[in-house]
Amino acid sequence: MYDIINDLSTMDKLQILADAAKYDVACTSSGVDRKGKEGFLGNSCAAGICHSFAADGRCISLLKILMSNHCIHDCKYCINRRSNDVQRATFTPDEICNLVIEFYKRNYIEGLFLSSGVLNSPEYTMELICRTLSLLRNKYRFNGYIHVKAIPGAPEELLAQAGLLADRISLNLELPNSESLKKLAPGKNFNNIVKPMAQISGTIAAHRVAIGKTPQMERAVINNRLENNIFSRMRIETSGDHKLIVPEKALDRDLRRPFAPAGMSTQMIVGATQDSDLELITVSEQLYKNFDLKRVFFSAYVPLNEDAALPAKDSAVPLLREHRLYQADWLLRYYGFSASELLSPERPNFNEAIDPKCDWAVRHLDVFPVEVNTAPADVLIRVPGIGPKSLERIFRARRYGGLTFDALKKMGVVLKRAKYFITCGGKMMDRIPIEERFIVNRLTDVDRREVYNFSDRTSYRQMSIFDYGLEAAGR
Amino acid sequence: MTVFVCEDSLESMLTCIYDAWYSRLGHDNVRLRVAPVDQLNMFDTYVHVEADIKKAMAVADAINVKISPAFYSEVVFTLGAYEPDALDTVYRVLALGFRLGAGVLDAYGYNAVARFKAIRIRFGREVSSFIEFARFNRLGDVFVSHIEPKSRVLLPVCEHFSDRMPSEYWIIIDDVHREAAVHPINSRYYIRKLSDEEFERLRTTEDYEDSFTAMWRAYFEHIAIEERNNPACQLNHFAKWKRKHVTEFI
Repeated sequence: MYDIINDLSTMDKLQILADAAKYDVACTSSGVDRKGKEGFLGNSCAAGICHSFAADGRCISLLKILMSNHCIHDCKYCINRRSNDVQRATFTPDEICNLVIEFYKRNYIEGLFLSSGVLNSPEYTMELICRTLSLLRNKYRFNGYIHVKAIPGAPEELLAQAGLLADRISLNLELPNSESLKKLAPGKNFNNIVKPMAQISGTIAAHRVAIGKTPQMERAVINNRLENNIFSRMRIETSGDHKLIVPEKALDRDLRRPFAPAGMSTQMIVGATQDSDLELITVSEQLYKNFDLKRVFFSAYVPLNEDAALPAKDSAVPLLREHRLYQADWLLRYYGFSASELLSPERPNFNEAIDPKCDWAVRHLDVFPVEVNTAPADVLIRVPGIGPKSLERIFRARRYGGLTFDALKKMGVVLKRAKYFITCGGKMMDRIPIEERFIVNRLTDVDRREVYNFSDRTSYRQMSIFDYGLEAAGR
Repeated sequence: MTVFVCEDSLESMLTCIYDAWYSRLGHDNVRLRVAPVDQLNMFDTYVHVEADIKKAMAVADAINVKISPAFYSEVVFTLGAYEPDALDTVYRVLALGFRLGAGVLDAYGYNAVARFKAIRIRFGREVSSFIEFARFNRLGDVFVSHIEPKSRVLLPVCEHFSDRMPSEYWIIIDDVHREAAVHPINSRYYIRKLSDEEFERLRTTEDYEDSFTAMWRAYFEHIAIEERNNPACQLNHFAKWKRKHVTEFI
């Protein structure tokens, strides 16, 4: 085996490996509350802290880099695939640690997101990642947030070590079924991803039980009010072969930490294959239910590679579809919806013109209008324009007397959506016919700007006389 | 209408509440403002209130004992907000609070409560954005940050950083209110007013740059996906007035 030696500076490597990492979407520093300690650097806040917003509007919370962009795989959708001719680089563990510590002290970042291409072999890469995390935690005494990516095919001992050093561990599913994965990522195997996922979730549950917590991860408080949410009838396996073998070394002081306290997450690509929204959202629900995942991320496919199995290189990025999927994901986790309520085999994709919650509401007009002053939580939360926060405020305020539309507005209820579905003291806000077509038209108008913002603006734009060869005076 | 005017400090605002309350003019006949008052009204009487620690303590104790300590902390946070009607709103909410108890903050039906919550929530967001966007420069072993908030957010921001970096020497300077928080290694931070001379000297700390500032700027450029470029979204999340001392935008 030959190693290619080049003399890239840390700056060059940072540029190359940030470029290579940017298509990974997860950049959250949430899920764990940890106080700072004297002699250590950093703390962690359960809500997460974003430190900047890049030109694409996405938050920068963690230093998101790859350990290496060398890769033995040739996944068709990936910029770092073996057959692509891109500049390659590999960080040394100390370089990463230095960057994290110095950036963290300047309040640029909230922690580290470390992923990697598969360098030499999964074992080798995962070992390199674990060595970096161990250095960062023990030598550099870093107490901030770490999100680590598990490399499919890595041995259990290394996964266990990574889980003990990091706060969140993630495994990318990339595609919702094994057929699509076989088509686009011939080197990968669906079982190789799902099996470690089950093991990690079992290990997290076992570690949680050991320190006196429930086996299931904490969920948004609003779920306590909603009886039939997707998390309410979950069963997590904490025994048998659903557990990682935690190495003997775990008894060391260095590794005596909670196992992935911020849970596990995954990511799926949207728009690279013909998979429908129904499939994506059903798989997400299954992942939440079976593996107790904390988040499922969606990544709109950015056409980077030329390939017959992929959308053409100049096709638009499906941003609106990604947005609708995230909205639906929130409906699952915060609003007590289930995937089968949102979509069906007859309607496998989300309506682009209005959001999934409005879409559900206009198809269930028999439930509405509901009386804000008396309705139970699981009905009220399904009203478009009322979210978990305003629901909580409504419930608290109801103890102090009747609510008016004016008070609802001040609580943050979005009346331009909610007014079609609620009554206050027996009256609707305006004279509104409860009729599907009328309401859909009005709601489409409310959403028009949002839809425009997400739509592909390269194909339509205002014509200008300069398009016809005229030049501006004085140019 | 009688308008009680006080200085922009917690002590004098609490004194102002005390004086307005015990003027016995009736809650509907008094207004509270923080100096300077831009536009004087011909039909109002203006009373200037000097800070008095005894009166301020009396108000603080009354809120803590008769309503609740949690209510007091809400009041203190809201008084830190820059909105000109914050003080008056707090006065109205206190009048309700003494009558109805701590739960009154959930009763959105009262206009004063709704306004109070709106100010409090906005203040909370301002605090979080300076926790997110404060940037430190390294001068030897000291980390120095300048912020320009609208409200008095220095205290909650420092609380966060004293937990985050307990074993570093750092200073956060509020350029608007001319206050600085100094945190020596492994001990409590303190906040002090800056004299003009000190303030001018501390301004120069922003010129210090090193390889990590350059690397951060490069990283910031490279992490954005060109195909997803969305300046409106970036602006929504990161308003221009918050970008003043932020490394990647200088």
